[in-house]
Amino acid sequence: MRALAPLVLLALPLLAQHGRYLSDSNHPSIGDPVAIAAGTKLFMGSCAGCHGPDGGGGARGPNLVRRSLWHPLSDDAIFQVVRKGVPGTDMPPTKLADDQTWNLVAFIHALTGPASSNPVPGDPAAGKAVYWGTKAGCANCHAIRGQGGSMGPDLSNVGGSKPLAVIREAIVEPAKDLYYLGNEAATVVLKNGQTLRGVAKNRSNYSIQLVDSTGVLHLLQMSDVKNLTLSASTPMPTDFATRLSKVELRDLLAYLAAQDARAAESKGSPQ
Amino acid sequence: MNRLLLLSLITALLGTAQVRHEDLAKGPGNDWLTYSGSYNGWRYSPLPQITAANAKNIVPKWVYHVPGTRGLRSSPLVYQGVLYITSGNSIHAVDARSGRLVWQYADPRAKESGPNRGAAIWADKVYFTTSDNYLTALNRHTGALIFNKKFADVEKGTTSTSAPVIAKGKVIVGSAGGDGGMRGFVMALSADTGAELWKAYTVPAKGEEGAETWGNLLEWGGGAAWLSGTYDPELNTLFWTTGNPWPDYNGSVRTGDNLYTCSLLALDLDTGKMKWYFQFTPHDTHDWDAQSWPILVDTEINGRPRKAVLHANRNGFFYALDRVTGEFLRATQLIDKITWAKGIDDKGRPIILPNSEPTPQGNWVCPSVKGATNWMGQSYSPNTGLLYVLTLEQCGMYYRSSQDPQPMKNFSGGGATEEGGQVVLRALDPKTGKRVWEYPMTGLGRMWTGTVSTAGNVLFSGDDDGHFVALDAKTGKNLWHFNIGETLGASPITYSVDGKQYVAIASASAVYSFGLFEPVIGVDPPVIEFKKEGLN
Repeated sequence: MRALAPLVLLALPLLAQHGRYLSDSNHPSIGDPVAIAAGTKLFMGSCAGCHGPDGGGGARGPNLVRRSLWHPLSDDAIFQVVRKGVPGTDMPPTKLADDQTWNLVAFIHALTGPASSNPVPGDPAAGKAVYWGTKAGCANCHAIRGQGGSMGPDLSNVGGSKPLAVIREAIVEPAKDLYYLGNEAATVVLKNGQTLRGVAKNRSNYSIQLVDSTGVLHLLQMSDVKNLTLSASTPMPTDFATRLSKVELRDLLAYLAAQDARAAESKGSPQ
Repeated sequence: MNRLLLLSLITALLGTAQVRHEDLAKGPGNDWLTYSGSYNGWRYSPLPQITAANAKNIVPKWVYHVPGTRGLRSSPLVYQGVLYITSGNSIHAVDARSGRLVWQYADPRAKESGPNRGAAIWADKVYFTTSDNYLTALNRHTGALIFNKKFADVEKGTTSTSAPVIAKGKVIVGSAGGDGGMRGFVMALSADTGAELWKAYTVPAKGEEGAETWGNLLEWGGGAAWLSGTYDPELNTLFWTTGNPWPDYNGSVRTGDNLYTCSLLALDLDTGKMKWYFQFTPHDTHDWDAQSWPILVDTEINGRPRKAVLHANRNGFFYALDRVTGEFLRATQLIDKITWAKGIDDKGRPIILPNSEPTPQGNWVCPSVKGATNWMGQSYSPNTGLLYVLTLEQCGMYYRSSQDPQPMKNFSGGGATEEGGQVVLRALDPKTGKRVWEYPMTGLGRMWTGTVSTAGNVLFSGDDDGHFVALDAKTGKNLWHFNIGETLGASPITYSVDGKQYVAIASASAVYSFGLFEPVIGVDPPVIEFKKEGLN
């Protein structure tokens, strides 16, 4: 399983994601570590030349992670593409047996499915200590099941809703995501002189919905606002790639991957 | 001032406020905190700004399109300027002044999909249930997940559609799915943790009292509790209705009264213990669930002051019971066309007419399977002293199948069809059970809209053809209408922000909010600066 780690972790950032995994197949290969490992070998041997070793795309083949999330394909549809190829393109048909083809599909699924439904390297218990510790300081801004800050997005279901590659990218390269509406750090100076600091959950020319640093929601009319200052970049620190060691980052990802609103239901409090 | 300073001070004070039991028990004011507004089920607001005289000046204020939805059934909640609306397996918090989204939470992995009737609020959390029975609690400011608790199994035929009711820190949830075979229940969970506190089955287990009113299908008997109910804090009693016995149309396989289906249950809030029950339709074979609001009103009935519970039933009759004892007080005809029963006897039992059972060839019976009324929100106005009920004059064919019942296979033991029919909004006098006025509608009998009444003596509801309407609550006179343009399937509410009264209703795919006309003044955008770093 460790062999899979660098591939998954290297997957490219994603700007948006859709319900690709809502049309999951029930095939036993999906989520099976043995099948994924076998699929990894096949991919490295036959697919990586065009699609890149991390599925992030190359000179002849498209980025599978990004494309898959933008244009969701079911596992069965991916199976058919692997089997039949894409006529009129460089993507050839294959002669792989059914079980081998499913191994490949299981690998691609693991690249793009929610982190909690796929095997993830690292030690979630160690990652929990990283998450709640002062070095990473995640909990200053992010909450899990009601504990932690409210400036950043809630992470209670991050593993149940996002692929590992997306979570990783959000940590080590947060500034790559340019679409901040809903998560803008904002300072609002009202015409009455009051200043509010927090995150703009939404805003228009007419109103702004701001959660302040204590987690309280303010519904403001723009006609009452004198001055609005917004962060041109993400309020998320951009130095986690160097602040954390590789092992710490891996373990942190393992902990975040396990945050699933449904699976964690029986596990109780995060702390 | 400074209005702004005052406003922000108020905002700051309100921001830290928590919804307490007393707030819920007090009923609506500026906010609308439970499905019915108040524990007694009145759907009545003391807001006086919109009146019968000025209702002609109502205009739309905003629309929030709920992403990816159709057939919304949700009645919104409003707390301190934020409106919460549910849709299938999601909840959306919207700025109640502007309709702008604040946050949304979706659970797209729910194993079921279906209607959702609304949210509940307590302390600083909002709650809703997913169709596959997860009670979900979220931070009301940010939408962050606090806890998620599975309280029933889809695998056992149970789904969830009702808005939870919260009383004294207990979240009361119910069970849907009675048309496919399941065992209905009402359940209390902790509002702080989601932990189960009690569970009250609506169908007895083998050997329990009432089990003798069934055949062998006890375990799958239905009696779903798919609509939330009302609560009397003084009696510490919940009033909850139950659905039809299963299989719906074939009564031959479940001889007896089939307790406690098609009934009203009085349950102790602390223990879930049944204080009394009243069965409106013993041994139902027409799918006449008792899901219609049990309205708690203190009034004079048969010349005596009573703590009454009023109930307009799908079977065509309008009942009054003593809510302390469950004693039957009176039943009157809710609709004109009733062919299955001659009336209700002095014990509260229907006097059945021959030839009204479903048959293999079909039998024409009134009311239809949709019932004389249904789960639509009713309203009682203490101002007019009237109860407002959406009724349906409609008959239909009922068929019985002789197949062996198979639970969890969408098997209902027969079927039913209905004629066009007509929806009539009726104002009833709780003292006598008699009609005071009627408002007949145009349409195909497809609407599920309820009502809300106000201190301004305005009654809001929806026409059967997609118009949102305001009526004079005293007379039923039409005052105002607005064509929403799609079938209405949810009940309206009213609330106030910054001293302005709004009326909101979900249509099939959006939430609309209305208020009195005032000019919209142009806004000079404020100075917006973008800074690279170090904002906070």
